Amino acid sequence: MSAEPALLSLSEVAHAIAQKRLSSREVTQSCLKRIADWQPRLNAFMTIEAEAALSAADDADAALAKGKSGGALHGVPLAHKDMYYDAGRVVTCGSRIRRDFVAASTSTALQRLKNAGTIRLGSLQMAEFAYGPTGHNSHYGPVHNPFAVDHITGGSSSGSGAAVAARLTFAALGSDTGGSIRMPAHFCGVTGLKTTYGLISRAGAMPLSQSLDTVGPLARSAEDCALLLGLMAGADPEDPTAAMGAVPDYAAATGQSLKGLRVGVPKAFYVDDLDSEVAEVLDNTVDIFKREGAQIVAVELPEQSQLTAACQLVLAVEAAAFHKRWLIERPQDYGPQVLMRLQNGLAIPGVLYLEAMRWRGSALAAHHAAVAGLDAVIAPVAPVAAPTIAESDIGNSPDAEAVIQRLTRFTRPINYLGLPALAIPAGATRAGLPVGMQLIGRSFEEAMLLRIGAAFQRATDFHQRLPALS
Amino acid sequence: MTRPTAKEIKAVADVAGVPVSGEVATRMANSIGPAFEGFGPVAGTLPFDLEPATFLVVQFAKGSK
Repeated sequence: MSAEPALLSLSEVAHAIAQKRLSSREVTQSCLKRIADWQPRLNAFMTIEAEAALSAADDADAALAKGKSGGALHGVPLAHKDMYYDAGRVVTCGSRIRRDFVAASTSTALQRLKNAGTIRLGSLQMAEFAYGPTGHNSHYGPVHNPFAVDHITGGSSSGSGAAVAARLTFAALGSDTGGSIRMPAHFCGVTGLKTTYGLISRAGAMPLSQSLDTVGPLARSAEDCALLLGLMAGADPEDPTAAMGAVPDYAAATGQSLKGLRVGVPKAFYVDDLDSEVAEVLDNTVDIFKREGAQIVAVELPEQSQLTAACQLVLAVEAAAFHKRWLIERPQDYGPQVLMRLQNGLAIPGVLYLEAMRWRGSALAAHHAAVAGLDAVIAPVAPVAAPTIAESDIGNSPDAEAVIQRLTRFTRPINYLGLPALAIPAGATRAGLPVGMQLIGRSFEEAMLLRIGAAFQRATDFHQRLPALS
Repeated sequence: MTRPTAKEIKAVADVAGVPVSGEVATRMANSIGPAFEGFGPVAGTLPFDLEPATFLVVQFAKGSK
């Protein structure tokens, strides 16, 4: 066992606490020590609640001593993106507007993790209202990449990516509307699961776009993501869009190999205009899949640029609608870039928005037809590794939207189609910046993605790479 | 389908109850214009009997391997 409990995986630390090889207090102290060391460099946390966390850890240890276990993650300290409502606590959503907003209820995803016994370390930074892919936040400052602090983390789950990468929390909730879990997973070298639309309840999660928003974890491995998904997925009377089906045994799926699986590599779009080092990582990943027994198949996907455009239309309109009251009453309280992007939604006619929504089913059917016979498709998460904070600080400049759209062009089609995608660390640039790949599956087939991700991680150690505190 | 002009966007924003300046309208036109063009090949081509809920039907049917 690692001498530093915070360096264990989520699965390992949960077992260690359950078996009383570690106390929740020891684990929580280890995380708090790392948070104290790293937070000044990363700005990953919105709030750090050390005393409350230690008190909750003591309660968890006392309960365990009496033979009472709170669940699969009893006594495990976690922190989450600051957009999951937690009754009685301030949830800023990364904004000035909600700086003092106290949630009246607890989000379903968070409550299910609490029911499993987790305790709260604090809350994590994020892009303002989850509307930004870089990790900049004009109110609370940028979150810094643990592998190179002058580089971005990606967003909008910026604090989640940085905190998991630096081993400040064992895992963190993120949200993915246009790439907000996969981008920070890619840039920060962690594993992130964008779930099928509807698989995890969105109740009590700050909305950005009701047709595209998804809840999911960022963690250190596919195995840890599987554990969390199994705890959070499933029907919820508080969210009528949450899927009603039985929850598969995701953890069991992670024990299987790649042998006999068929993995598609897109012939176009996802392989166009890649940075050369990202292209090298894609080639290397494909080679590893082959070595581990998967069959690689070139696949021709339907026109993806139309999907990205449709995603942008839907997201812009739905976000503007959620924010309209504040756009009228408090425009000065938004950061410049978020205000600009919210205003964009005002310019889209209702008929065009509904056409984008009406096309969605046909587009998904066309995608399923294109990937028939495949177990997953592999593609880069983004065409580049993490840019610097300075070069991507584009604010509301005239070309800001174009820069954002280029950065997220490989993630948005997946949101529009509501598909699951697992971002896994797959390599690094020569400068040491992480590079991730996304495994894209069919609707509700997260188990297959987690199986492939876990098998890849048994064959590689990219997910175990630790940033150094220098 | 063509991208909206700044003048058109300014009028739409006014109607929406969130007036914007000419400068902001120009920026919005530049920002959102590519999405109009990207979706252009689809807009106006969809069959009659299609509604947003079709997405959920397809999603739950999944694709068969």
